[in-house]
Amino acid sequence: MTRFGYILTILVGASLGVAACSDSIDEPAAKPDPGSTTGGDDTTFDHDNDGPTVWELIDRLTKEGPPSFTSHVHSCSKVRIATLGQVLTSVGVNLGIAGTTTAPSAGDLYKTGASALGASSYANRIRENIGITTSGASREFDIFAAGADQIIAAVPTLGRCQVGGVGPQLFNGDTCTAEGITCLIGTPAQTSHVQLCNLTITGASDPTVGKRLAVAALLAAAYTCE
Amino acid sequence: MKRISILLLTASSLAVPACTSDATQPGGGGDDGTGPGSGSGSQDEWQTQLNSRVTDYNAALRIASLRLTGDLPTVTEINQIAKAPDDASKKTAYETIVRDYIGRPAFAKQMFAFWQDTFKIGGTPAFDTAPAFAAKLSVENGSYMDLFTKSANNCPTFANGVFADVECTNGGPKAGVLTNPGVMASFTSNLAFRRVRWIQETFDCVRFPAELGGTPQDVGGASLYTGQWPFTSIASPTNGGGRVNFQDASSAMCAHCHQTLNHIAPLFGNYDATGAYKTTIQVTVPLPGAPVAQLNDWLPPGDTTAWRYQKSAMDIPGLGAAMAADPEIAKCGVARIWNWALGKTDIVDTLQEVPTETIQSQIDAFTQNGFKMKDLIFAVFTSSDFVAF
Repeated sequence: MTRFGYILTILVGASLGVAACSDSIDEPAAKPDPGSTTGGDDTTFDHDNDGPTVWELIDRLTKEGPPSFTSHVHSCSKVRIATLGQVLTSVGVNLGIAGTTTAPSAGDLYKTGASALGASSYANRIRENIGITTSGASREFDIFAAGADQIIAAVPTLGRCQVGGVGPQLFNGDTCTAEGITCLIGTPAQTSHVQLCNLTITGASDPTVGKRLAVAALLAAAYTCE
Repeated sequence: MKRISILLLTASSLAVPACTSDATQPGGGGDDGTGPGSGSGSQDEWQTQLNSRVTDYNAALRIASLRLTGDLPTVTEINQIAKAPDDASKKTAYETIVRDYIGRPAFAKQMFAFWQDTFKIGGTPAFDTAPAFAAKLSVENGSYMDLFTKSANNCPTFANGVFADVECTNGGPKAGVLTNPGVMASFTSNLAFRRVRWIQETFDCVRFPAELGGTPQDVGGASLYTGQWPFTSIASPTNGGGRVNFQDASSAMCAHCHQTLNHIAPLFGNYDATGAYKTTIQVTVPLPGAPVAQLNDWLPPGDTTAWRYQKSAMDIPGLGAAMAADPEIAKCGVARIWNWALGKTDIVDTLQEVPTETIQSQIDAFTQNGFKMKDLIFAVFTSSDFVAF
């Protein structure tokens, strides 16, 4: 039995042992009961008992599978904030351009979005959150949408995307190009990428809006996970 | 047996028999973390999913590029793989690019950020020295065990992608990041327990308790004591005159954690709240007036400091040496790099366990080749799991 096993045996045993004979099972915690590590005035102090509960663990196992499976596969972690900034620059966003109060620029949204994006707080001994959150994903999409015009204009000139000194066009008229999409997403564009891009343009109120939406949608899909 | 299996086996064994007389055989899960309740599918189903993955070096390249350089791959790099004629050529191209990535200055920045997050410390010059030390080891392919044993230049700076050796000036012993002033300051607490917890969770990847599995003993509490250390090896008012009752067993079994904590913490008691080492104990006891701790607040007379039971550590360098010799420390280091590469959240905070079997080949290579950090990172980013989707 591993050390993990002993720990959880004790924690679950302590919690379920109490609840086992009641009609309903209250949520047991993967930690000592509240107050059980808080002694009197002369003996101890409040312990930090945070951490996943047993039920949270079981829920995760049910959805994601056992560690023998999950440890072999990639998880979908959020793009780190610093990396996102570099990616934005790499696809043509100038983070130094300021927007307006009613229409903030991509740079504005990025620079003011640290909390939403899960920034670290080392003073409080908290690392950057790499889990995907609604606020983080929303902010990321807003940034991509705000930066779409810059990206569309910049793609042909991006050194990262040039081959033999020639950069790709993101659009050929009102249709998307695989080379341009490859530049944006960092992997070879598939037919489905091009189809989605084209569909977004044709479904929009006009091609200009459609191109913005297509760029934002492609980027959001590509950078939901690092 | 894995912790998940233990959890579920225990849940079924305690919840059902407690109210019935059925001699139901509990659990039934396998020894690999699968089985009833430990995931919605059978082992075969999960294995089928693993077997159904396909190798995609371009997808792997994108992830590797973002993690190792903090930027996207160039189209030229993408094409080197995409236009390679066969899988063997793609593999060669991919590994060549990854090796290039970990030779770039951007890799140093990525490692610095990785260690800031791993250590949960940084943002100021003083707090950045520990992450910089670990990042320097990673970039220069140093030994992971230097984190616990290096005796000089343990407070480097990192600026503009460049590391510079700097000696720590907080006095006292020198043992890698274990004596780092930023760490000592950031994790200061009563009885130095927070410093010990940081060491335990960061480098052993397990929260306390860390040493269970001993012969169960009835010590007069609500549950049995199952620690490795003798119950009498930690202090209490009736056992050496300590002012905190670490032998309290009335609700939680304090000794399960404190058997280990108390044998390590005195080593870190002489650091003050700024991280400076003093010749006398600086940490306090959580009692009215916050009195300064005494050795017998942790241990009864005659008991001495140690990393683990029967792994004596008379000082912090001794502790570092004992840690470096502990296979669990190497395993934890590999698991942390593995989880970073595969996009997992913190191995301790979110219990993202990595079974030993998953990373056995990386552990073996790491252990046999001098715990080289950059070699480990390359091995993980080019592993068969990393390139499979």
